[in-house]
Amino acid sequence: MVNKFLIDRRTSLKGLGATLALPLLETIGWADSGKGKRVAPPVRLGFMYMPHGVIMDQFWPATAESFLTSPPPALESLQSVLDQCLLMKGISGVPITPFGGAPHALELSTWLTAQLPDADTRNQINIAISADQIAANFVGGFTSLPSLELATMPQTHKENQEGLNEGYYTHCSFRSPTQAVPAETNPRSVLNRLFGKTDQPGQLAKVDPLDRQMLDLVLGGAKDLRRKLSQDDQHKLDEYLDSVRAVERRIAAIEYRQKEAALEKAGVASSKRNSSDSPPIEIKIPEGDKRSEYMQVMCDLTVLAFQTDTTRVSTYIGSTPNGVSYPELGFKDEHHSQTHHENKPEQVAKVAAITAFNIAQFAYMVKKMASLREGDGTLLDNCIMMWGSGLEDGNKHSRENLPFIIAGKGGGTINTGRFLPDTKGNQGDLLTTILACAGIPLDRPIGIATKQIKEMTYNL
Amino acid sequence: MQFPISTAGTFRSGLLALALVRFALAIPTAVAVAAPAEEQDFAALRAETEKVFKDRVTPFFKTYCTDCHGIHKMEGGINFSPTLMSPGVPSSAKTWKQALANVKAHDMPPDDVDKQPTDEERQMFVDWVGTIKFLSPKDPGAFVIRRLTKVEYGNTLRDLFGVDPAVAAELPDEVFGEGYLNTLSPLQSEQYLGIANEVLERILASKDQPPTEAQQRLFGDTPAPDRDLRAAARTVASKLARSAYRRPASKAELDLLVRVFDLAQENKLDYPASLRLMLKAVLVSPQFLFITPEKEPEARQTVAPLDDYQLASRLSYLLWATMPDAELSALADNGTLHEPAVLQSQVKRLLADPRSRALFDGFGAQWLGLIGLESKTFDTAKFPQMTAEMRAAMVDEARLFFDSIVRENRSVVGFVDCDYTFLNGTLAELYGLEKTVTGPEMRKVKLEDANRGGILGMPGILATTSFPNRTSPVKRGVWVLEQVLGEQVPPAPPNVPPLEKQDKKAVEDLTLRQRTELHRTNAVCANCHKILDPIGFGLENFDAIGRWRDQDDTGGAIDAAGELPGEKRFTSPQELKAIIAARKDELARNLTRKLLAYALCRQLEGYDEIVVDELMEAIAKDGYRMQTLISEIVTSYPFVNRRIHEPEALKSNGQ
Repeated sequence: MVNKFLIDRRTSLKGLGATLALPLLETIGWADSGKGKRVAPPVRLGFMYMPHGVIMDQFWPATAESFLTSPPPALESLQSVLDQCLLMKGISGVPITPFGGAPHALELSTWLTAQLPDADTRNQINIAISADQIAANFVGGFTSLPSLELATMPQTHKENQEGLNEGYYTHCSFRSPTQAVPAETNPRSVLNRLFGKTDQPGQLAKVDPLDRQMLDLVLGGAKDLRRKLSQDDQHKLDEYLDSVRAVERRIAAIEYRQKEAALEKAGVASSKRNSSDSPPIEIKIPEGDKRSEYMQVMCDLTVLAFQTDTTRVSTYIGSTPNGVSYPELGFKDEHHSQTHHENKPEQVAKVAAITAFNIAQFAYMVKKMASLREGDGTLLDNCIMMWGSGLEDGNKHSRENLPFIIAGKGGGTINTGRFLPDTKGNQGDLLTTILACAGIPLDRPIGIATKQIKEMTYNL
Repeated sequence: MQFPISTAGTFRSGLLALALVRFALAIPTAVAVAAPAEEQDFAALRAETEKVFKDRVTPFFKTYCTDCHGIHKMEGGINFSPTLMSPGVPSSAKTWKQALANVKAHDMPPDDVDKQPTDEERQMFVDWVGTIKFLSPKDPGAFVIRRLTKVEYGNTLRDLFGVDPAVAAELPDEVFGEGYLNTLSPLQSEQYLGIANEVLERILASKDQPPTEAQQRLFGDTPAPDRDLRAAARTVASKLARSAYRRPASKAELDLLVRVFDLAQENKLDYPASLRLMLKAVLVSPQFLFITPEKEPEARQTVAPLDDYQLASRLSYLLWATMPDAELSALADNGTLHEPAVLQSQVKRLLADPRSRALFDGFGAQWLGLIGLESKTFDTAKFPQMTAEMRAAMVDEARLFFDSIVRENRSVVGFVDCDYTFLNGTLAELYGLEKTVTGPEMRKVKLEDANRGGILGMPGILATTSFPNRTSPVKRGVWVLEQVLGEQVPPAPPNVPPLEKQDKKAVEDLTLRQRTELHRTNAVCANCHKILDPIGFGLENFDAIGRWRDQDDTGGAIDAAGELPGEKRFTSPQELKAIIAARKDELARNLTRKLLAYALCRQLEGYDEIVVDELMEAIAKDGYRMQTLISEIVTSYPFVNRRIHEPEALKSNGQ
């Protein structure tokens, strides 16, 4: 396999700091290759979340050896792709002191930040840029959409825990320490956003060529408004300016792609797709309100967005910590109330069923990726898909061994097919390692990270 | 200025100096904005608060708390040293609240510590926490320019262009009022652009078609080719901006819009198409998406009154969730809206208008916890009644009831205690009134059963505070305490020990009440549950969807008797209601605090507590009437002013 790209990424694995800030830009531009050159597909990053932790003895494999042969019940849906998964026990969460009374407000918001909110300004969002957004900042410019944020539940939960802003309850992606990124819950809007209102995946959204210049003028004019505002207000306006700039960039990316497509059509440039690549998958938006169908179409959209290189970063909040129930599983109880099971078998069984259900949706996505050809391997080979929860045990709110499943080889960086029962590290270390594997340069570790988890990757 | 520096004995002198500077700066700020008479009272109260802090609170903490919660040993992550150094800053408020809850509940100091404060000492601390607000300088709080919510944005497009507000349906749902995020992501910006395109598509004629009515209204006639098109475009821009920006546009803002027009002209678009691009620019401008001030603040101004345009918007979005109408706009143009009498009469006018249902949709539904009822899961085998029609009727009942208190200017006590409600045939079944109330229309119904009437006996609320298959006395208790009385119920401690060690058989025969009472056999749980459980027990006659019952799921008789602090005993929902309704001041204060936070789109802190005190005085005088409450909020100091610079005294440690 010709993979110059991988070499650079491996270099970046050697450590944080200076070595990570390598000029990877040229090598990451997948579509930029000249005619005849084979360039490895880019690494895509996906995150999928479930709250409240798991039933541990049904999640962790008995031994490292039994992982592939007799996986625990929670992982049954992943059986056929376990050789492409990695499980690590021993990843600890951020200690939530001094927010002891806010386990659920923090399990999601610390998930991709590995950091606590600022205690002095707790009623506002003030945390840290999240790992997915760090990645989007770096690779987002190559695709028409920098990143995709999806959720199953609307982000409207209101509950005051420890005086923390309600937004912490329902958000895990943060563009900046003070800006939570809203997620889309409507599959139809996601499809429109990815491909325009064409309903034909693979086609590009239509843009008005003058919009970009018009937005540019509006941005310029906003500077005048800035003078009228107080300091805090100026900060708000800057968020607006920042988001409009992102739209400008997106329009530019779409225009670039359109030009590229025209050149391809005219036979001037080669396609980024290889003849062996699978055709774009089909999206069927379900009619009913069955949770599994809904979650699967969100998973399909992620797969399609990755497959068509419309984005390289996706975060899916599969469920949130508030009032969610799973009628499809034959019981009406809310997820949260069942996780305080006090080891009562009936409730333990319900939590196990909910966990298995969530993992099954993740498995659906991962298996689909494994079935799609890309370059010399599959789409999954070029992805790092992380499934996980923000608690270890919802009954005790413990966070010592957070459950994570990593699927995909990350373009040949992640050493899969293993269960590492005694990993030493925290969730910041994990995120830092994942980003490094995806070739994202970091100027500092993520949240509480102190190192990379070398055991995850191939010895370099 | 004497300040208790001795309390922070372990602090380095540099930090001490910083603390002193910060505190010293607080005083001139407060003096500068307070009226002389007020100022004196205020200064006296502040001095008293400081004195008690120095003489009593600080020794109290040094004796009982800082050994474990100090700079050397931050048990549970709690360190009182910074709090004792700057007691009045907002970041300390949370620590005080937490300490208060623990000291009050006798959770702290822990039982196994020898040194225990006397009840008198505990009470001293509790009383003092109530006076911390006097340490805050007068400040309207951060008035960060506010983005329109999804609902407001859709309604504003409707008012401007006559389009269906659902055109904004794609925007992400969001929390509004207190807890509103007020941020803007690329996703939203992109959607704004997409929605602007969609709106223009709908209201404007396509190329070479005759102009639509909306186009005619917005753009006027197309000038003859030999006329000055730019001048004509500028006139159109000025008109568009006045309504879309909800204030006159500045010269620079008009210049910008004309530049967009020029851009279109340079790209060979015709006149209507060029105006179309200009209108699109209006719709993606921050001046449209945010409520922005008209003028620059004067140099070194720390607090400025809202200009009348901003005030018109703030008021209109609060009560109508849409842009100001012609009358409000005219008052803003005249510059008279800020006069209290004018403002109050506008409140009355706006509340009388059907658009004021926005106050329920935005505030009332959230306050009553009804936002999720439509999609809440119920055990449909047990409760087949919970159809979409039933859920809609439940929300309608609460809405019409809320509106009746607002429109008829009733006392807020009526929320808890009154003798009417609104029913249709579907909902009447839950009341056992299906014989007298039939058909799908909601109508006002007088209630004979005194257990009903008011939010405590309202099916929607009883359902929303239940589990999918049974009632939850705990949830209902917490709801009444927090949402109705405004008390803060601390979250259950982590690692809650198992409630029932008994095997299933042993609890099988217990009623839900008896099982819930097991909380109280455990000392850790008992402190809180002895207050919140009885309220839930008092409502046990209402099942999980709000029907009356005399037996619970186990077949055991409902025992709705209980006692609240102060030897307030009750035996039925009716008597419980009477006890809660008698706590008028707490009811009104809670509603005032919640509505003020909603109106300001932020949590209350510091000086706001003094504002609430002042509002309460006026509201109580007028019998706690709802319109008075709303009027007082709309004319209150933080609603009509904005902060330009944060007072130094409020800035947190060294940041």
